[in-house]
Amino acid sequence: MFITRFRVNTARPGARRLLSSPQAMHAAVMSSFPHLLPSDSPAPDAPRVLWRLDQHARAEVLLYVVSPDRPDLTHLVEQAGWPAVAGPENPGWHTRPYAPLLDRLATGDHWTFRLTANPVHTVRRKEGEPRKLTAHLTPVHQMGWLLDEERLTRLGFRVCEKPADRRLLPEGTTHHKHPHPGDRYELAVRNARSLSFDKSRGPEGRRGNPVTVVTATFEGRLEVIDPDALRRTLTQGVGRARAYGCGLLTLAPVTPAARPDRPDRRTP
Amino acid sequence: MSVLALRLAGPLQSWGASSRFTRRTTESAPTKSGVIGLLAAAAGIERGDDGALAPLAALRFGVRIDQPGTRIRDFHTAHHGVTGASMPLSERYYLADAVFVAAVEGDRTLLTSLDDALRSPVYPPYLGRRSCPPAGPVDLGLYEDAGLEDVLRNVPWQASAWYRRRHWTVPRTLTVLRETTADEPAVTADVLRDQPVSFDAAHRRHAPRTVLTDPVPTPMPAGGGGPCDAHDPFAALDALAALDILEG
Repeated sequence: MFITRFRVNTARPGARRLLSSPQAMHAAVMSSFPHLLPSDSPAPDAPRVLWRLDQHARAEVLLYVVSPDRPDLTHLVEQAGWPAVAGPENPGWHTRPYAPLLDRLATGDHWTFRLTANPVHTVRRKEGEPRKLTAHLTPVHQMGWLLDEERLTRLGFRVCEKPADRRLLPEGTTHHKHPHPGDRYELAVRNARSLSFDKSRGPEGRRGNPVTVVTATFEGRLEVIDPDALRRTLTQGVGRARAYGCGLLTLAPVTPAARPDRPDRRTP
Repeated sequence: MSVLALRLAGPLQSWGASSRFTRRTTESAPTKSGVIGLLAAAAGIERGDDGALAPLAALRFGVRIDQPGTRIRDFHTAHHGVTGASMPLSERYYLADAVFVAAVEGDRTLLTSLDDALRSPVYPPYLGRRSCPPAGPVDLGLYEDAGLEDVLRNVPWQASAWYRRRHWTVPRTLTVLRETTADEPAVTADVLRDQPVSFDAAHRRHAPRTVLTDPVPTPMPAGGGGPCDAHDPFAALDALAALDILEG
């Protein structure tokens, strides 16, 4: 497995085309693998290509790709990167083997994580109607989707709880005794977005209905419960819309500066 | 001497020191009367109880501007709830999206009781005006055997994450407004009429107070921590690579 980072040059028209359509970005990412034909579909439990866009600032947009093979992003550098800076030493993107991290995952480890996912459930609006796939739209529901016990067991980790002195609500519930996961857990939803884009046209050249995908970016701290399951999560993704930039979970070390906003009682 | 530090942050704040009649202005930083009033309310001191207020008003006060915010004006119209008669038109000024660190210096036992009061307040704290609730806990903790200047120099920069992200370069200095000590010459000091004498509902009284303006270097949170704590998946791989080199 390999992890790759590519910084998108947002000033270029090619970048705008890619950033405005997950369909176009998916095609560009999948074209980075010379041994992979567009018609190939991986086996359901095989590692697959996952990608995610992280926007840190208006002009700092990073594309992360986790893949079984080493990618070649030359076409992305040419369309949406800095081709004049690229050379033999610096191709314009960074790829690292992912195995050193995957091999060292151990039960009880703490990591900070980021995950962009497509939180959905199925509902029946009236009696007798078939169940329909529906997106979770509020942060509380989106957190509830991730915190579902069955899902977390499958994913192989647990979301850390906040210490009592950093909570605003007693017991992590509102005064109506509704659970408030954002207060109870080290978890936040950032950048919830609803994407709507066209799929490529069919053989008749007719436009179908646009595809809509609701995405939410989760950030927080996790504790590893089942290293094997977490390895599978990291390489195969979480939830739906994995072709459209959802489902890639990444880990980063926990640093003491991760939560600087409220120091405890102490002398300076 | 001990110091109690507060984080004053909220969508709106309003700290008046010279407001009269229908034009309710705000200073650009919290006033002593506002913050002492907040502490007195948390401790459950009643409006007219000047005797209980006196030890609080005697605390030495300082404030640091971590995120200046913007001044906004509200053209306020209102009708009487029962009679429907229109109330006087007024202009109310607020600071939007500002963050301050306020600190009071004084006797340890008094500050310990105020610290506990802030954790379970009798009357809820608000930022200068009843309609301005704080965003998050106000209490930043009690610093024992410390000076006001040291605390305001060392408490990590409290600006909100979006503000730190937007400002790529961290400001070199933050402004501190503090009271002079007894042995300091007050030549370059300003005078502000916000030393609380009585919060009596019928007749509030304030005395003038000298305020010194000092810049302090921006204290960053422990562990470096740049302007934004961006998630970096490569950091874990870098750390593991460094570990491999160490272990040979």
